Amino acid sequence: MVNEGRFLPTMDLLRSEPMQLVQLIIPIESAHRSISYLGDLGLIQFKDLNADKSPFQRTYASQIKRCGEMARRLRLFKEQMTKAGVSPSTWSTRDNHFDLEHLEVKLEELEAELLEINANNEKLQHTYNELLEYKLVLEKVGEFFSSAKNKAVAQQKELEFQTTVEGSIDSPLLLEQEETTTKQIKLRFISGLVHREKSIPFERIIFRATRGNVFLKQAVIQHPVLDPLSGEKVHKNVFVVFYSGERVKSKILKICDAFGANRYPFSDDLSKQFQTIREVSGRLSELKTTIDAGLIHRSTLLQTIGYHYEQWSLQLKKEKSIYHTLNMLSINVTKKCLLAEGWCPVFATSQIHKVLERATMDCSSQVGAIFQVLETKESPPTYFSTNKFTSSFQEIVDAYGIAKYQEANPGVYTIVTFPFLFAVMFGDWGHGICLLLAALYLIIREKKFASQKLGDIMEMAFGGRYIIMLMALFSIYTGLIYNEFFSVPFELFGPSAYGCRDSSCRDASTTGFIKVRSTYPFGVDPKWHGTRSELPFLNSLKMKMSILLGVSQMNLGIIMSYFNAKYFENNINIWYQFVPQIIFLNSLFGYLSLLIIIKWSTGSQADLYHVMIYMFLSPTDDLGENQLFVGQKLLQLVLLLLALVAVPWMLVPKPFLLKKQHQERHQGQSYDLLYGTDDPLESESQSIPHDEFDFSEVFVHQLIHTIEFVLGAVSNTASYLRLWALSLAHSELSSVFYDKVLLLAWGYNSTIVLIVGIFVFICATVGVLLLMESLSAFLHALRLHWVEYQNKFYEGDGYKFFPFSFTLLTDEDEL
Amino acid sequence: MGFSVTTLIFAVIGIVASLCTRICFNRGPSANLFHLTLVLTATTCCWMMWAIVYLAQMKPLIVPILSEGE
Repeated sequence: MVNEGRFLPTMDLLRSEPMQLVQLIIPIESAHRSISYLGDLGLIQFKDLNADKSPFQRTYASQIKRCGEMARRLRLFKEQMTKAGVSPSTWSTRDNHFDLEHLEVKLEELEAELLEINANNEKLQHTYNELLEYKLVLEKVGEFFSSAKNKAVAQQKELEFQTTVEGSIDSPLLLEQEETTTKQIKLRFISGLVHREKSIPFERIIFRATRGNVFLKQAVIQHPVLDPLSGEKVHKNVFVVFYSGERVKSKILKICDAFGANRYPFSDDLSKQFQTIREVSGRLSELKTTIDAGLIHRSTLLQTIGYHYEQWSLQLKKEKSIYHTLNMLSINVTKKCLLAEGWCPVFATSQIHKVLERATMDCSSQVGAIFQVLETKESPPTYFSTNKFTSSFQEIVDAYGIAKYQEANPGVYTIVTFPFLFAVMFGDWGHGICLLLAALYLIIREKKFASQKLGDIMEMAFGGRYIIMLMALFSIYTGLIYNEFFSVPFELFGPSAYGCRDSSCRDASTTGFIKVRSTYPFGVDPKWHGTRSELPFLNSLKMKMSILLGVSQMNLGIIMSYFNAKYFENNINIWYQFVPQIIFLNSLFGYLSLLIIIKWSTGSQADLYHVMIYMFLSPTDDLGENQLFVGQKLLQLVLLLLALVAVPWMLVPKPFLLKKQHQERHQGQSYDLLYGTDDPLESESQSIPHDEFDFSEVFVHQLIHTIEFVLGAVSNTASYLRLWALSLAHSELSSVFYDKVLLLAWGYNSTIVLIVGIFVFICATVGVLLLMESLSAFLHALRLHWVEYQNKFYEGDGYKFFPFSFTLLTDEDEL
Repeated sequence: MGFSVTTLIFAVIGIVASLCTRICFNRGPSANLFHLTLVLTATTCCWMMWAIVYLAQMKPLIVPILSEGE
């Protein structure tokens, strides 16, 4: 702006950076490289010139689709690595830059290889599981046949014994034996495995289906078996069914299929059994070796992928963001150039020039990119150059609202006033030291924590470590002022001002001490601690302190509004907003502050509440015993009149002057004001050439603003009393923990009780005072800044500068 | 007298702190003005805090009264 530096010297952080709307014309061949380098630079916020197009109509939709496909592949790799217990490598020493085509081919190949390995492993595992089951069947059914054979032999011996005893009936027994032999030759069997929980219904249904004409035997397998189909461990039984006839066989087969029972062939020949077992065991060994080799191969492949995974992920995110940005650009009808528009800080002009030239050379492009600045009426985005120290304070302000372009930034004073107001509420130099140690720990380990993923709470604490440090330093200071070290006072700066009336000190608990020396030089006199009059004294002190600090900060806010009006050359806001606001606030609450100081200086016993109330109710009456100085009545009358005049002063003239200004501009009599004024109302009227000036709307807006300020002056002053309330709460809690926990434990003269007392004291101090109380004081300081201070001058209706930058791609960004 | 002397001490500390900041963190007029603003704001806040407590104790209306039993 032309007027910058004309009136005031520039100051860091007070105004947002000067911004400009720029236009880039980039040849197609160097467009990708140019955008890539601009992403590294991170100082341009591109406008979307294709907002009317759908994502599929944009120029680089296919490239983004390919990026999506590659992202899917990377997600697959991540999932497989997680299953296999392989973690991606955090260090990435490689600097070789794959381009998109090479990366795509590479990922495709790796995916195919991985899928093939997985399929092969799955097939082998399936076969392995089947053979394992087969082996179990061979073992168990072999046992069946062995025991059956033994029983047959025993039975035969018994039969021979009977023949010897009863020789007269040899013929019938021999006939029966012949019949039995005939039947045995025709019996067949089916063997396999069935789920244990299905084994009983399986047996029952087979029995019914064949009308009991089968013999079924089952055996339990002690260990779970890997099911070939599902791949899960299942408890199973081995079964063998003896049957006769083809119809029965088909029934049994159907029932086996229905129950998911796996069947395996079995030979009743003993030698064949042994041979089959040997074959199956051999194949199992071979398969085991093959499966292990496959798993090692898969693990190796995943580790190879893991080495590059982070690098590939980052590069893919960059490529995707580049193409999204390229989609914002407008393509020339000849398909040779891309047109880009965006905001950038003025100081970045030369950097952008260099970056574009470098891209042109790296691409060996015939035509260079064109960079030019455009004139515009649009309001630029807001950009503050912050460092690691100031950024957290700026975040506090931005959370309330982003500053309008070049509006005075409350962050400048917030850096000091925020931790100071926190300390007013938190003041205790013992607690301050603890807080300082915590902050220094975070600051000393800055580099380590910065490159590490912290939890939510830890992330916030680390982000605010400089705020915590300042809060701690100011807390130590206010703790010395309040004279509290874990609620214990000390005579650090000399002896107490109070002493006994006489040597016997009998009056100390009746009429109290008297002031025998000059005032305690720094902070609260230590004699107050533990006395009956401590609370009345501290309450009075801290309430008045809250008023004084509050009125000071509110005045600072109004003065900031003057700087805003001055900067934007808005004389209406100077004379009809700033001046009456200063008059109103200080006629009433500034006067109250003056009365407080006079009362302290003179030791008057006047009641300030009565003074303020009757200043309004009966301003012409005599003050009587509440008079603090000569001429007070007249002064109060003048101040009251000033306050009464200030209200219509800030209400009435501004709408009429704005109307007059609008009429003059409409008639073309005051073109000079067009470029100097940046009032939001006038900005709106400028953007719409034939906009009607709605006087009633402007008047109502001004009415609301005036009422808000007048009522706000009262309520905001009362709001600052929270400084007293929080400070009192902190002090009393600290005293309770000290007296009721530590001193009580000390009084028992027992080491164990003392240790327990110390432990409880430490837990209470850390848990309640350092964590909960500090959070409470933080929130109240935040409210005092957002509402009581910033609403005096801060509009906060801008929008933040959000540049296209690769560093803003966070790890949480989903591929 | 104590009030004036200590106020002067605060002023001296403020000036010394400003000079030290200027010497140690000299980074151009814009940043220097920013640092000066921070130092002056901090000094003013600390002085106000001290002055409020000191003034409140110059001519107190009540005195410490021990609790009975001490």
